[in-house]
Amino acid sequence: MIGALPRTRRLDWVVLGCAVALASLGVLFVASATGGTHYEGLASRQAVWIGVGLAAMIAAILFDYRMLLKFSFAIYCASLLPLVYLLAFGERIANVRSWIRFGHFQFQPAELSKIATALLVAYLFENEDQKRLRTSAIVKLGAIVGVPALLIFAQPDVGLALTFLPLLFVGLFFGGLPARGWVAIGLLLAVLAGGGWFLLKDYQRARIGTFLNPDTDILGSGYQVRQSKIAVGSGGFSGKGFRSGTQSQLRFLPVQHTDFILAVIAEEWGFLGVILVLGLFAALILRALKLAQTARDRGGVFLVLGLTATLFFSVVVNASMMIGLAPTTGIPLPLVSYGGSSVATTFLGVGLILGVEYRRFVNA
Amino acid sequence: MLRIREDRQPLLRRIEVSRIAAGALLSLLATAYWFVQIVRGDYYFSLSENNRIRAVKITAPRGYVLDRNGAALVENEPAYTLHLYRREARDLDASIAFIVDLLGLNPELVRSRVERGRRDPEFVPISIAENLGIEEVAAVEARAVEHPEFAITVSQRRLYKHGGAAAHVLGYLSEATPDQIKNAGSLYQVGDWIGQKGIEGAYERLLAGANGERRVIVDSHGREVSEANRLEATPGQNLFLTLDLKLQDIAEQYFRDKVGSVVALEPETGEILALVSSPSYDPNWFTRRVTAAEWSGLLENPDKPLQNRAIQNMYSPGSTFKPYLAYGALALNLVDPEMRIFCPGHATFYGREFHCHKKGGHGWVALRDAIKVSCDVYFYNLGKRLGIDHISEIATSFGFGSPTGVDLAFEKAGLVPSEEWARTRRGARWYPSETISVAIGQGPVLVTTMQMARALAGVIEGGQLPTPHLFYSSFDPRTGAQLRYKTESHHALELPPEKLRIVKSGMWAVVNEPGGTAFGSRSSGVEIGGKTGTAQVVGRETTRRAGADPKRLQDHAWFEGFGPVEDPKMVVVVFVENGGHGNLAAAPLAKALFEARFGVGSRLPQPPPAVRATAPDAPGIRQAARREMP
Repeated sequence: MIGALPRTRRLDWVVLGCAVALASLGVLFVASATGGTHYEGLASRQAVWIGVGLAAMIAAILFDYRMLLKFSFAIYCASLLPLVYLLAFGERIANVRSWIRFGHFQFQPAELSKIATALLVAYLFENEDQKRLRTSAIVKLGAIVGVPALLIFAQPDVGLALTFLPLLFVGLFFGGLPARGWVAIGLLLAVLAGGGWFLLKDYQRARIGTFLNPDTDILGSGYQVRQSKIAVGSGGFSGKGFRSGTQSQLRFLPVQHTDFILAVIAEEWGFLGVILVLGLFAALILRALKLAQTARDRGGVFLVLGLTATLFFSVVVNASMMIGLAPTTGIPLPLVSYGGSSVATTFLGVGLILGVEYRRFVNA
Repeated sequence: MLRIREDRQPLLRRIEVSRIAAGALLSLLATAYWFVQIVRGDYYFSLSENNRIRAVKITAPRGYVLDRNGAALVENEPAYTLHLYRREARDLDASIAFIVDLLGLNPELVRSRVERGRRDPEFVPISIAENLGIEEVAAVEARAVEHPEFAITVSQRRLYKHGGAAAHVLGYLSEATPDQIKNAGSLYQVGDWIGQKGIEGAYERLLAGANGERRVIVDSHGREVSEANRLEATPGQNLFLTLDLKLQDIAEQYFRDKVGSVVALEPETGEILALVSSPSYDPNWFTRRVTAAEWSGLLENPDKPLQNRAIQNMYSPGSTFKPYLAYGALALNLVDPEMRIFCPGHATFYGREFHCHKKGGHGWVALRDAIKVSCDVYFYNLGKRLGIDHISEIATSFGFGSPTGVDLAFEKAGLVPSEEWARTRRGARWYPSETISVAIGQGPVLVTTMQMARALAGVIEGGQLPTPHLFYSSFDPRTGAQLRYKTESHHALELPPEKLRIVKSGMWAVVNEPGGTAFGSRSSGVEIGGKTGTAQVVGRETTRRAGADPKRLQDHAWFEGFGPVEDPKMVVVVFVENGGHGNLAAAPLAKALFEARFGVGSRLPQPPPAVRATAPDAPGIRQAARREMP
């Protein structure tokens, strides 16, 4: 399978180019956001992680995704182990048990399990090709996505758990859930939302309350949203200049090198910077969806769809968060935000997407 | 292969739908950013500027106050305040425990201050303790590395160098009241110090200068990163007062165990050389924040230490009123100075018998000797001849019944009765017998010490009433520019020099001829003229206040004097509440002041140490010592 005829192997340069461009922007603005603080040096660390990600990406392109699909259940199960381990023994970082430490580096295993879940969902729909989605498939899909999502929800990392939801959606929508099914899901969600409120931790409730009415708590939870909006808005059309954002350089922005990196870009490069970032994501996502349409087999289609959907979801939620259109859930901007596990696994995902395209004309 | 393609049709359609939806959603998001960044961009930009730029006040150094010879009365000294920066504190309770232990503070007080400070944004430091000593400052600074949450700030505190001396002249500083903030436009903010009463109040604008402002760039912790621009403060003007600290000290000493007031001024210019109101208070308390005990001590003291008795308390002038009457009668040509009246010790007017203070009577007296011996019967007759309206005209022309215009606030006008006043203000017609009382300074005539001093200056100057004032000159510490007080005066009744000489001669005789009422207070060093007075205490209020203390019912003692007689350069008016006779209680201070002023050694009798007691609950108030006396 490796080293087949060049004509049949196609690397999609749009997706690859967009991903690398976004990651480079990320390094640039992590440097801007952390310059002169005790976080200085995170940009080069981020660059290292991008290197790791690129290596993983190349491996993913070269490795036949069909093999991965075949073993996806085993991979999936293996990816759940560290989640269980974390819940039982994990050390808390920022009050959340979601990190595994390797010497100097920490890793969030949940990111990897998202890829594994996408693989298993794709594998499920490889054979699930009825015109209408069967109930048994819905149950399987719910279990596949639900188990890791709940484990992560319990860490508790609500944001990361939420990024599993697009996989559910992909299965239901592209798998062909009939209209009745959507109505039933809508009702179910309404009930769950009511009940879920009581399961949320206080700070999570506070965040949602703040989201609905950000002016109630200017110095508490509302502070982040307010400062982020000020940063974004004050950037205007062309921004205050690289490393000249007052909101970011004077630390009015919270966690600005991770979740709020887009606000830094918006402040320093203005609307133009935002259009650049959103444009790159749009190109990447729309192109990836195009690739899904031309994938060789049904498994490949669903793999691309699942990976793209999680990416799209994170981008939209994160970008909405910056200007107060979504609650601050702790979802980073893929490829751009600081965070090694996130960047590396996103590149791995991009590699899988490219791999599907790479093998478009290969007959197994 | 074929089967797959057929199967894929709905899937491909759904993907196409999702592509359109994704593109639309991202475009919508871009539109939202366009709204925030372009439409609302200016608004958020101004918010970000507010965020990062903070205005920090530069308090202008307040001007010094000095006496006429340049001796400092009021200065500034550094004051150290301990602040807590909550953002730096890892464990607030541990921080509180640390500082309470280090400085021996009251833990309850510190905790309540922190609690109160929590209402402010986190970057606002909480003031924990004021007026730290230098050792305490050193102790805190030494631990600055382990406890960065505590910081010392230095500010300027007003220092009244002589404590309670001239307190009523100087006034004090306190935090601006809501009304003062409102009235002054945007000049003051809550928490700003402002001059209250005295010179501090009257010349607030000159002394305060103009505060500057630093616009600093701060980070999200409120920590200063750099300075954007700076508007320097304009320091306040230094004020030279007309006071002479040497005379002031003598007067302060004299009143240490007495209640009353003294005003000494230059008759030609109205410059006030000494002004004491007793009991007094220490204006330093206000800048160190008065404690509740000190404040209630001030308020509950029946002698009202905060009141400036020289301008706010009105008394009957008693016999000190007589020279003005004599002067006025001469000026209006209503009396022949050679006219003699026989004093048998009493006289009857309008069916009522009036007594002279000398039981046996003075025999035949003319105007000059009537002043010298203070013959009541002579002045009864003079008063009857003048009538109340002429008396009123004379008194008014000497400035009685209206404020002197001295540069101190809350001055009282006093009272000069007339028939019209009786009709319109009192609501009971004027009785002719009242005129007889007013002729010797009793009855419904009320004056302040300051008015007496100005009127006496008017007599000396032959009808020119100077406006008493404390402002001598101001000095701008930056430019060196000086501002002098422009002397003002008003015309009183004019008196030709030969007639004026008669009045002055009578007042000279009071002190310098045997039989004069203040003969005991003559000085071998400087020739003084003057007039004693004894005001009867009759008011119901006074009786109530007196309670069982007979001392409270004793007469008030007046003495007004000028010197040197040939060319008077100073007038002195002394008033001692319940002091008894003016010659004994009031004149000695005047004599001491004249001798000090004109180069003769002061021979002021020192009070015995036992009477210099001060009440333990209100340190610094010069309590009337008579309460400690049996």
